[in-house]
Amino acid sequence: MTPPLDDRSSDLRELFFETAHELLQSLNEDGLALERGTGGEEAIRRVRRVVHTLKGDAAAIGMRELSQLAHDFEDVLTPELASERAADVAEAVLAAADTFESLLSAAAKNLPSPGGESLRALIRRLCAEPAPKAPRVAVDSKAPRQQASFEWNEYEHSLISETLAKGETVYHVGVSLDLTNLMPSAAWQLVRNVLHSCGSILVLHPADDAHAEHVEVVEAALSSTLPLETLRKRLRIPAVTGEVVLDRADVAGEALHELVSAQHGAAEGAAIPSAAPSAAAPSAHAAAAAAGAGAANNLSAASRAAALVDKTLRVDSERIDDVLNLVGELIIGKSMLSRTVAEFDRRFQRDPLAARFADALGFQSRVLDTLQKSVMKIRMVPVEQLFRRFPRIVRDIAKMRGKDVALTISGESTGLDKSILEPLAEPITHLIRNCVDHGIEPPEERIAAGKPARGTIRLSARHEGNHVVIEVGDDGRGINRDRIVERAIELGFVTPEEARQLTDMEALGLIFIQGFTMLREVTQISGRGVGMDVVKTALENLKGTVNVQTAVGKGTTFFLQLPLTLASIKALLADVGGQLYAIPVASVVEITRVTEGEIHEVDGHEVFQLRNQVVKLVRLNRLNNAGAPARASRRLFVIVVALGDRKFGLGVDNLRGEEELVIKALDSRMTQSEFVNGASILGDGTVVLILNLPVVVARLSRAVMAEALA
Amino acid sequence: MEKELHLVGFRVGRETFGVPISMVREIVRVPEITAVPNAATFIEGVINLRGKIVPVVDLRKRFKDTAPETGRKTRILVAEVDGQAVGLIVNSASEVLKIPPSEVEVPRNVFSEGELSYISGVGKLGGRLILILDLTRVLQRSELRSAGQAAELVAAEV
Repeated sequence: MTPPLDDRSSDLRELFFETAHELLQSLNEDGLALERGTGGEEAIRRVRRVVHTLKGDAAAIGMRELSQLAHDFEDVLTPELASERAADVAEAVLAAADTFESLLSAAAKNLPSPGGESLRALIRRLCAEPAPKAPRVAVDSKAPRQQASFEWNEYEHSLISETLAKGETVYHVGVSLDLTNLMPSAAWQLVRNVLHSCGSILVLHPADDAHAEHVEVVEAALSSTLPLETLRKRLRIPAVTGEVVLDRADVAGEALHELVSAQHGAAEGAAIPSAAPSAAAPSAHAAAAAAGAGAANNLSAASRAAALVDKTLRVDSERIDDVLNLVGELIIGKSMLSRTVAEFDRRFQRDPLAARFADALGFQSRVLDTLQKSVMKIRMVPVEQLFRRFPRIVRDIAKMRGKDVALTISGESTGLDKSILEPLAEPITHLIRNCVDHGIEPPEERIAAGKPARGTIRLSARHEGNHVVIEVGDDGRGINRDRIVERAIELGFVTPEEARQLTDMEALGLIFIQGFTMLREVTQISGRGVGMDVVKTALENLKGTVNVQTAVGKGTTFFLQLPLTLASIKALLADVGGQLYAIPVASVVEITRVTEGEIHEVDGHEVFQLRNQVVKLVRLNRLNNAGAPARASRRLFVIVVALGDRKFGLGVDNLRGEEELVIKALDSRMTQSEFVNGASILGDGTVVLILNLPVVVARLSRAVMAEALA
Repeated sequence: MEKELHLVGFRVGRETFGVPISMVREIVRVPEITAVPNAATFIEGVINLRGKIVPVVDLRKRFKDTAPETGRKTRILVAEVDGQAVGLIVNSASEVLKIPPSEVEVPRNVFSEGELSYISGVGKLGGRLILILDLTRVLQRSELRSAGQAAELVAAEV
């Protein structure tokens, strides 16, 4: 079990869990590559490296079980074994990934360790037929280390001198890191935290954790009021730091440095060592600095190179959300301002200030627009982050179901808002499971149908206007529309009359109803009647849609359409019974006007004719339960929207135009309403609700039907 | 010295209610309220409180005043309940009441039965009864009695 935690080690734990996830992902990928036989020695070496890292990191946070397992596993992973028994090794790598994952998640939740017996058994099996072991060189933790050299630059020296001049005490601190079982960057962070708690850090080498990757010694100049011995005690962190060098900096030492650098400046490098003893108070570290200069230079060159490579920044996504919220407020502020300026223009048309206002406002809008886009871009992550987990899932399900399935992935660089990407994992997993389980036929059946024995699942992503479309498709048996409808009638979801009126897309859409299942028995993976409705709900929550296309014998494709971001939305503002609603432009096909006389009743639905099409009318004033008096002469604005392959007309009183709305969640449990999936604030302060069209249309058109029957 | 209880007092109907001052964020005039279709019936709608969208409950309707009039003194008391801001429409709100704990009673009989459990105590102040509200309970979906009835029940017990 884990030892008692203090602040430092909980920091370390967090860091560990974060990196461990990436390590496991790469284990999975290499395991699959090994299984396919495409990885070769490179893959096995990568696996070893990963396992080794895991071992060390796990030991550092006190996860002995994981560390021990990783250690045992690392031992058996030799290139020879990999080439001789590739399949077994691949299996073991994947099993190891699973075992490590369960150990990790148990540790993360502070649950008892689930144990790694199955993996241990696998490892024993691999060892059973003795593979020639690569000779292992024990890591000597007492290997000679680099010493602290306190090689400060001009600026740093002046900083130290200034602090000394203020009468503060400055220490030179050199801490060698114990790297037997710790990531250098983590150790560095811990040391920095300790230093930080002891006083103010004047100089720190390396200066940030991007440089800390190959570091063995952390050097610092610290201004502190603590006595030297207390400092020394604090800096001795078991399992993190080794030797601690502490020196009080003195004015003389700094003066010496000035002297040295002056001579250096005169290009008399050779004179330095001899000059040092002659100085008033020769200081040990000044000498060391001169002696160790060469080594230190190498080090800083290496860290400079590392800085160039690693330009990425890990930031808590909440911080970006905060910025985005503020940008949202700014946008609302801008529209307030532009309203005011418009008002000013009306009142003081001749005033030369009006033009200057307009210019300033125009400039501000452009900057704001760019700012908004830049912040959005920060939140955009490639869908690859999501897609990379699916090869493993497909492999596992296919294996379990005795099917041969390949997964092809394309468009993985397509960017999508992180807050949209994460909730997509579950629905896409469901779809992929369904493809393997129901879509792809067993090999014999495929061969009999004249198809290749190996089925293919396609997972792709692409941009389409303001949307991202993700496709999950298979080349399996397809969905039989009539059987779906039949089953839906059997389950009581539709009446036979209703069923006759369904379009193909609507008929297929029946599979998304909660409780719908084609299977009469439940398999291990799917068939419980949960899943497809989860997909639909998840997509609706993300303001997206899901549609199906299928051809019997040829395969099925699911189309998931998603907005690029959940931060803002282009919407049409419409007045309905004195209230303002926003209708997402993405669904709007056209706007038309009809008089009450042109509205007819068919089958209990109000319909009107749009060119040669009959379109259902949904009066939005039913939302407010306020039926406006219908006068035949009255003309109604109708917003025609497309949902799936059907069009609906939304009857509204008046149109207010189109606006880019900053979405604010209506997340209070009190205001939850299926009809609305967000709100926004307009420039004049009005709150406008964003309609959740699929639900609004489904509910309001059904209400008419019910009334007609009554 | 006992520590006094600080309440924000407000009126709904003819009764005076109080909530701990620590729960009250601010008191504002009634702005335009946007109704949310299909939300809980006692939700009046949402308002824009300096860029934040805040749900509003009409306490007057909550306490069975069927046709409350919004007048010059009507206010929205913005409280923080379970970490979320909620606006409460009240007839008027102005005073901060200081009541010594000894003057606060927690009536048992009526209140243990659940119906009135949204009143966490009754304070006596200069001959007046102040009903101290448990806002979390008030905002649950169940029905509440009218303010007058609540006061009568409380008076009968105290």
